[in-house]
Amino acid sequence: MVDIVPLSSYPSYIDLLPSIQTCNITNLPENYFLKYYLYHALTWPQLSFVAVVRPRSGYKASTGPGGAGAAGDVSGEYPKVVGYVLAKMEEEPTDGKQHGHITSLSVMRTHRRLGIAERLMRMSQRAMAESHRAHFVSLHVRVSNVAALRLYRDTLGFEVEKVESGYYADGEDAYAMHLNLQNMWLDWKAIEKRDRENNKENGEGDDENVDEGDEVGELGKKDAEKMIRVKVGRGLGVGDLVEKNESQ
Amino acid sequence: MPQPLNSKDQSLFRQVVRHFEMKQYKKGIKTAEQVLRKNPTHGDTQAMKALNMSQIGQSEEAFALAKEALRNDMKSHITWHVYGLLYRQEKNYEEAIKAYRFALRLEPESQPIQRDLALLQMQMRDYQGYIQSRSAMLQARPGFRQNWTALAIAHHLAGDFEEAEKVLTTYEDTLKGTTPPVADMENSEAILYKNSIIAESGNLERALEHLEAVGYRCTDVLAVMEMKADYLLRLDRKAEAEAAYTALLERNPDNSIYYNGLILAKAIPETDHKALKALYDEWVQKNPRCDAARRIPLDFLEGEEFKQAADAYLQRMLKKGVPSLFVNIKHLYTNPTKREVVQELVESYVSQASSESNGSAESKGENEFLSCTYYFLAQHYNYHLSRNLAKAMENVDKAIEQSPKAVEYQMTKARIWKHYGNSAKAAEEMEKARLLDEKDRHINTKAAKYALRNNENEKGLDLMSKFTRNETVGGTLGDLHEMQCTWFLTEDAEAFLRQKKLGLALKRFHSVYNIFDTWQEDQFDFHSFSLRKGMIRAYVDMVRWEDRLREHPFYTRIALGAVKAHLLLHDQPDLVHGPMPSGANGLDSTDENERKKALKKAKKEQQRLEKIESDKREARKAAAANAKSVDGETKKEDPDPLGNTLVQTQDPLKDVMKFLTPLLEFGTKNIEAQCLGFEVYLRKNKHLLAVKCLSAAHAIDPSNPTLHLQLLRFRKALDNLSEPLPEQAAEAVNAEFEKLLPKSQKLEEWNESYLSSNKGIVAHVQAALSGRHLLKPESKLQCEKELLATLDAPEITIDEAVIAIDLLNKWGSDKTAYAEKASKKWPESSVFQLN
Repeated sequence: MVDIVPLSSYPSYIDLLPSIQTCNITNLPENYFLKYYLYHALTWPQLSFVAVVRPRSGYKASTGPGGAGAAGDVSGEYPKVVGYVLAKMEEEPTDGKQHGHITSLSVMRTHRRLGIAERLMRMSQRAMAESHRAHFVSLHVRVSNVAALRLYRDTLGFEVEKVESGYYADGEDAYAMHLNLQNMWLDWKAIEKRDRENNKENGEGDDENVDEGDEVGELGKKDAEKMIRVKVGRGLGVGDLVEKNESQ
Repeated sequence: MPQPLNSKDQSLFRQVVRHFEMKQYKKGIKTAEQVLRKNPTHGDTQAMKALNMSQIGQSEEAFALAKEALRNDMKSHITWHVYGLLYRQEKNYEEAIKAYRFALRLEPESQPIQRDLALLQMQMRDYQGYIQSRSAMLQARPGFRQNWTALAIAHHLAGDFEEAEKVLTTYEDTLKGTTPPVADMENSEAILYKNSIIAESGNLERALEHLEAVGYRCTDVLAVMEMKADYLLRLDRKAEAEAAYTALLERNPDNSIYYNGLILAKAIPETDHKALKALYDEWVQKNPRCDAARRIPLDFLEGEEFKQAADAYLQRMLKKGVPSLFVNIKHLYTNPTKREVVQELVESYVSQASSESNGSAESKGENEFLSCTYYFLAQHYNYHLSRNLAKAMENVDKAIEQSPKAVEYQMTKARIWKHYGNSAKAAEEMEKARLLDEKDRHINTKAAKYALRNNENEKGLDLMSKFTRNETVGGTLGDLHEMQCTWFLTEDAEAFLRQKKLGLALKRFHSVYNIFDTWQEDQFDFHSFSLRKGMIRAYVDMVRWEDRLREHPFYTRIALGAVKAHLLLHDQPDLVHGPMPSGANGLDSTDENERKKALKKAKKEQQRLEKIESDKREARKAAAANAKSVDGETKKEDPDPLGNTLVQTQDPLKDVMKFLTPLLEFGTKNIEAQCLGFEVYLRKNKHLLAVKCLSAAHAIDPSNPTLHLQLLRFRKALDNLSEPLPEQAAEAVNAEFEKLLPKSQKLEEWNESYLSSNKGIVAHVQAALSGRHLLKPESKLQCEKELLATLDAPEITIDEAVIAIDLLNKWGSDKTAYAEKASKKWPESSVFQLN
């Protein structure tokens, strides 16, 4: 019995990271050190998901801090990880459009054809659209990987954007694929409307300008931050880390 | 006392600082030297030169220079700051913190020093210090949200929920009602963070109210839904909780936790199978392709209902040709009735299919159905709760006959050989599976693992090399280290340990240990990174996880292995020279001549291996002279690839502590860990710590066979102390041990009663026989006889028989009779061949 759970939600499942790393290096030639997984989990905590084998006697209830997880708490249980999707947002999209990217997806050979990969992908795609307003999601797949191609194209509806020749370390070509996600966007207009109603109720006018200076300062700060290369990675900057994997 | 620089040198000094900031370290050093030529004792310049040097690998020289700088100028915040930075690079955090504190005292307004100090305080979990630092930083720059958030984190982790919440609210109030835009993720996460603090403080009503008010505009939609459902369930607001879990299941019907929540919310009793089944059926209707809702009812259904549901489930999956069906079913087998029902059902599919086809041309679908069914049965009969290896082999051969190219089928054949106790044959069959799909890493991994289980370390590494880069100095092994491939290093270590090659075993155990150190160190950058990114909940979860990092089963496994290796080294110091052959008369052979001969042979082999290793190194050096790794880092050659320095330790019982301490700390529920802890402390003559391990083990399982023997041994050890324990210690030890094995208890009687009340449980019988042998050495013959008789017990496993051989070794007994009888019982096995 396999459960699909978020990597870092409530309660947290982040202690599964070493097992996810092992799942990756067991199945795929493209590997990463743990810090790269941490970097995903702590930058885009909404986007990654894990497939675990449910323990024989189920999960314990509510032992997390403050008793979180009354219906079952995976943390500290270390169930067997049989699949994962590790996903991110493109940090500096060339066309300026927010979009997601699948860094790595894998399901153990022993647990194929249970629909695990499809569910992992759908969960991640939805989170990209809802949390990050992703216009689309992109990924690479080996041209020889028929099963994966079937999943992405036929089941999930991805389209081949182009062939990238010699993308993989062993010289194999990759299909660069993408899927539009805008159909899963939330109705942000409605949310903003509710904001306005709330503000009216609280007697706070939208047209108050007192804090405009602050707000611009805040946004300006954010732009400035984008330019900072943050040191993450064993002595490497994020920029170095981003496409760092063993085979490239 | 520092001498002031003239204005030209001052500007040069500023250049040094700039060079460092621009990462132009060599230029920085050159410029510093220019200043030092005229001002040879200028502390600040020396310090900055040292800092630049430390960045290009000259850490020792850098340290020496930094010390000199400090001597020349004790009153400079720069010399102290640099001193701290160098300690920080060496991961000596305590000293680094001290140096930063001095620097900060000299320059209280310095933001960089304050920040560096704060980061280390967080890393060291000095929450009170972190609160102080963060308060100061907030005061200096209150305009930045992250400074507020950081202070809240400090209070939160220190356990002060109220203060943490207050800090976050104070910042929110500064916004004066201007709601940040919906897309502002930092804001969204800060709000959810605050909500999680309220919930953690135990005030669920208020947490829920807050979530209802703000959750609609939070970007992490799923998290809001999960939090809400959990709060509602815990508040026992059943109707709303039902709706919340329903909503979660609509997003993801493949999560059993959501079904649990829904069932709790609907208050369906565990015994009401009808209602439960109806609930799951509803979700099957909504998601015909969802596995969970079909599979879970098999857990609780009984009798005819179970049979019907199992039949439908099994047939559907077999017809679809799902190869992972068995792994999805095997959890049911703890219930013997269900196990039999499944067996009957699947066997009946085979007989039906073969009678229907009747030799006529079969369609492809029927063919697939049949091979899948054979495959299922092969796994079924291979599984420990339903094992019949002959039938397993029969079925897997039939499956392979139908589909000779199926990797899974061939893999299962290898697994069957493993269970036959023949690791050579298992590795051979797994290699055949690998050759069926050489581009698949999963099967390659399995082949490497099976080679290691067969103690073929080189073969295993060679297989791994098919999926690594193999370009750097360290070769394949270096790549596996860099990619933190813990499973391989662990299996490799265990294989070396089995062969008593302790140097290499320790080497690998240490490698995994160091990987855990790296993982702990990895969090450092995130103390600042996460504040900028604003994903605070994930960050706090990470911090808490890091605090129990070594609770992970990967750590437990290598720590257990490392402790065993150190104990072995302590008990048999000759093993430092490599494996020693054990004769038919066991390891305790007292023939000194034979020992010397064996020792000489071992030393010769050791020299041979060292020669091979150094030749290899030379060859690699020549090959890698031009090839630097892609990221431009030159990898350092390992000066001790065989682990000689580790194995040549003066004090294995001291070295072992770094593995044992976290193992005991996190392994309070792991009886093997506690029993091994006892072995270490007993040898160290730490009786109080030893008895604490026994108590911990006793609390887990009072009748555990390892513990039983240890209790006897401890009583004997206390009775035969070479010098009495100090009074206080003796009192404490006796008081504790009295609860486990009272002094008044006659040991032989106690041991025999353990034996008679555990008849037929092989491990227990073995322990009792060991106990008898210990208490009454003259009973050796009787013990051997009774040990031999355990081979007739129907439940005895190959692993248990292997342990019996070890026991005979320890007793100095002749193993021939036992090995021959075991060989007859398990003719396919290779483990009972004596040489």
